[in-house]
Amino acid sequence: MSEEELTFWEKLARIDRRVFYWILFIGLMIPFIHPIVFPIAISPSTRDLYEGIKEMVEPGDVVVMNIAFGVDAWPECMPAFAACTKLLIKEGAKIIFWGAYYDVDMTYQEVLRRCEDYFKNLKYGEDYVYLGYYPYQEAAVAQLAASIRSIFKTDNYGTPLDEIPMMKNVDKATDIKLVLSGDTGDVCDYYIRQWRIPYGTPVAEIGIAMLGSSYMPYYRSGVLFGMSVGVRGGAELEKLIGEPAEATIRMGAINISHILVVIAVILANIGYFASRRK
Amino acid sequence: MPYPTAPADVFGLWVAWLLMLMIYSYPLYKENPVFRFAEHTYIGVMLAIMLVRTSITTTINMVAPPLMKGRLDYIIPIVLGFMMYFLLSARYRWISRYPIAVLVGAGFGLGMRGVLIPNILNQVISTITPPATGAGAVDWWNYIYIAIGTICAVMYFVLTWEHRGAMGYATRLGRWIIMIGLGAYFGNTVLFRMAMLSGRAQFFLQVLKIAPM
Amino acid sequence: MAEVLRREVVYLITAIVTVIMFIEFFFVGTWNVAEELRTWATIIANISLGLGAVRLLSEHAKNIQKRRAGVWPFSIWLWIIFLITILSGLAGYVTTHDAMKNPLYNWLFRWPYTSLGQTLYAITGFYIFSAAYRAFRARNIDAALLLIAGCFVILTNAPIGGVIWGGIPVIGRWFLDYGQAPAMRCFLIVAAFGMLAYGFRALLGRERGFYGEVAGE
Repeated sequence: MSEEELTFWEKLARIDRRVFYWILFIGLMIPFIHPIVFPIAISPSTRDLYEGIKEMVEPGDVVVMNIAFGVDAWPECMPAFAACTKLLIKEGAKIIFWGAYYDVDMTYQEVLRRCEDYFKNLKYGEDYVYLGYYPYQEAAVAQLAASIRSIFKTDNYGTPLDEIPMMKNVDKATDIKLVLSGDTGDVCDYYIRQWRIPYGTPVAEIGIAMLGSSYMPYYRSGVLFGMSVGVRGGAELEKLIGEPAEATIRMGAINISHILVVIAVILANIGYFASRRK
Repeated sequence: MPYPTAPADVFGLWVAWLLMLMIYSYPLYKENPVFRFAEHTYIGVMLAIMLVRTSITTTINMVAPPLMKGRLDYIIPIVLGFMMYFLLSARYRWISRYPIAVLVGAGFGLGMRGVLIPNILNQVISTITPPATGAGAVDWWNYIYIAIGTICAVMYFVLTWEHRGAMGYATRLGRWIIMIGLGAYFGNTVLFRMAMLSGRAQFFLQVLKIAPM
Repeated sequence: MAEVLRREVVYLITAIVTVIMFIEFFFVGTWNVAEELRTWATIIANISLGLGAVRLLSEHAKNIQKRRAGVWPFSIWLWIIFLITILSGLAGYVTTHDAMKNPLYNWLFRWPYTSLGQTLYAITGFYIFSAAYRAFRARNIDAALLLIAGCFVILTNAPIGGVIWGGIPVIGRWFLDYGQAPAMRCFLIVAAFGMLAYGFRALLGRERGFYGEVAGE
C-alpha cells in the first residue's frame, strides 16, 4: 500500500518510535522550567505509614532503615526514604542503616546529604550508625533477626559493635522497634517472613510504584503497618512532614508524562477501531 | 543541594551529564559507538564496585574477626564459597553443587516456613473477615468483591479440572479480576518508569543551570 | 562412589538444610545449629557473588585475545576502567577500612556510576511510552478491563487527574485499594503454594534444575 492510500490513523501508527521518545523527553523537562503544581491527596497507606511511625516510635527507640534499592532507583525511592529518615529523627529515634545492594554506600551518603540539616545535630554511634552491606539473601535477613553481630562484626568503618554506644544492648529483632524497608525488589518479603511473623517486629515498605500493587495484600491484611508507593508516596510524605522537596517538584513531570501515556493509549485505540471498521 | 563548586565535582557533574547523553543517543538516535563506550564504562565500574563491596570487603569483614579469635569452623563456608567457582569448569562443575545445596536448602527452608502465615493464613483471614458492625454498603460491596474475586482468581490457577460449566464461569470471572489487577499494576509501572525518566530530565536541566539543583 | 558424591550426597545436604531451617521456626532464637548454618549461607552467597563478574570479565578478555571486530576496543576500555575502580577501592579499604574514603573510587562511584545506573534504568520509560501506543489495544474484554483500570490508575497517580475530573481519583483509588486486591492476593497465595510444592520436590530430590545439572552428566 502506498503512502497516499494510508488513512490518517494508519499514518499515525507508522510514526517512528523516536518521535515519541523526543516528545516524552522534552515534555518531561517543561515542569522543571515552569512548575506545574496541583494539590496532592494523601493515600491511606502513606497516612498509615506516617501515623504508624509517629505512634510507635518513642525517643530513644532503635529503628532499622533497610536500603534495598540501588543508586539507579533514587528518583523513585529516595524522596520517601529521606522523608521517613527526617520523620524518625524528629521523633527521636536512633537509626541503624544497612543495605542489601552492593552500592548501598553511595545511597547512605546521599541520605546523609539530603537530610544534612537533621544529621548535623546528631552524633554518629549514639544517634545513628551505618553497618554497611549484607547479601541479598533471605538467610542473611533471617540471621540479622537472630543476631545482628553474626552478620556485622563491626560497623562499616571497622568499629566493633560492642564499642558503639547505641548498639550495646541491640542484637536481635526484638531489640528493634520497627523496620522501614526501601525496596526495588523483594527484600521486604524477607523482613515480613523473618522479622514480622516470628518476632512481631512492625515492618513498613518504602518501595517503587509496582510494589504498591505487589505488597497491597500484605498492607490490607495488616502485615505491613504502612506503605509508601513510589515518588507519589514520597510527595505525600513530604506534604505530611511539611517539607516539600524533590518528589513534590517532580509531580509536575509525572502529570505531563502520565497525560502523554493516556493520550497515546486513547489515540492508539481510536486508530485500532477506525482501521478495523475500514 | 547547591551546584557543586569543587573542581573535581564540577568535572564529575559534566562527565555524568555527557555519559547520560551517550546512553540516550541509542533510543533518541540509533545504536552507535558512543553508546557502547558509555555502556562498557558502566559495566566496568559496576563490576569493580560489586566485587569490592561484596566478595572482597564484606567477606573479610564477616570472616576475619572470628578467624582471628580461633573460630576455625569459619573456614568451611569460605571453602564452600570458592567451590561455587567450579561452575566455570565443565569438568568439575559438579563440585559447585555443594555450596548450591546449602544455599538452596536455606532458601527453601526459610521460604517454606515463611510463606505459611503471611501469604496463606493472613490472606485467607483477611479475605473472609467481614466489615465491622455499622459498615456501609460500600464496605460490604468491597468485601464481597474481594472475597469472590480472590476465590475466582485462585480458581483460574487450578488446573486439575477442566474450566467448563460452573468452573468455566468462575475462572472467566477470575481472569477478568486478574486483568483489573494487572491494569492497576501497569498504572503503577508507568508511575515508576516516568519517575525514573523525569529524574534524568531534571538532571539534564540542572547541569545546565536551567533548573535548580 | 563418584556418582553418589555428585548426586545423592548433594540432595541429602539440601534436604538436611531445608529441614533444619523449616523446623527452627518452632524454636526461633534457641537453635545454634540453624543460626550457624544461616551465617555460613550468607558467607557462601557473598563469596559466590563474584562469580558473575569473573565470568563477564573472562568473556571480555577473550574478546581482546581474539580481536573480535567492533568489540575488542570496548573490552579493553572495560578492563581499564574496571582495574582503575577496583584498585582505588581496595586502596581505600586497606588504608581506612572504607573504600569510599578513596577520592578516585568515590568520584567514579558518585558521578559516572550513579549517572549511568540511573540513565540505563530510566531508559525503559521510553519503551513503555511507545508500548502504550503500539501494544495496548482493547481487542477483547480482558484487554479492555486492563486498559480501563490502567488508565484510571495512571491518572490517579498524577495529581492532574483530579483536576481533569473529580471522579478520576475516586475511581482510580478504588482500583488501587480494592480493585487490584483480589488479583494480587491470589498471586501471593498461588505463589506460596507453588513455593511449598517446589520446596518439597527439592527436599525429595525430585527438583534438580538449580544444581546446574547438564543432560547426560
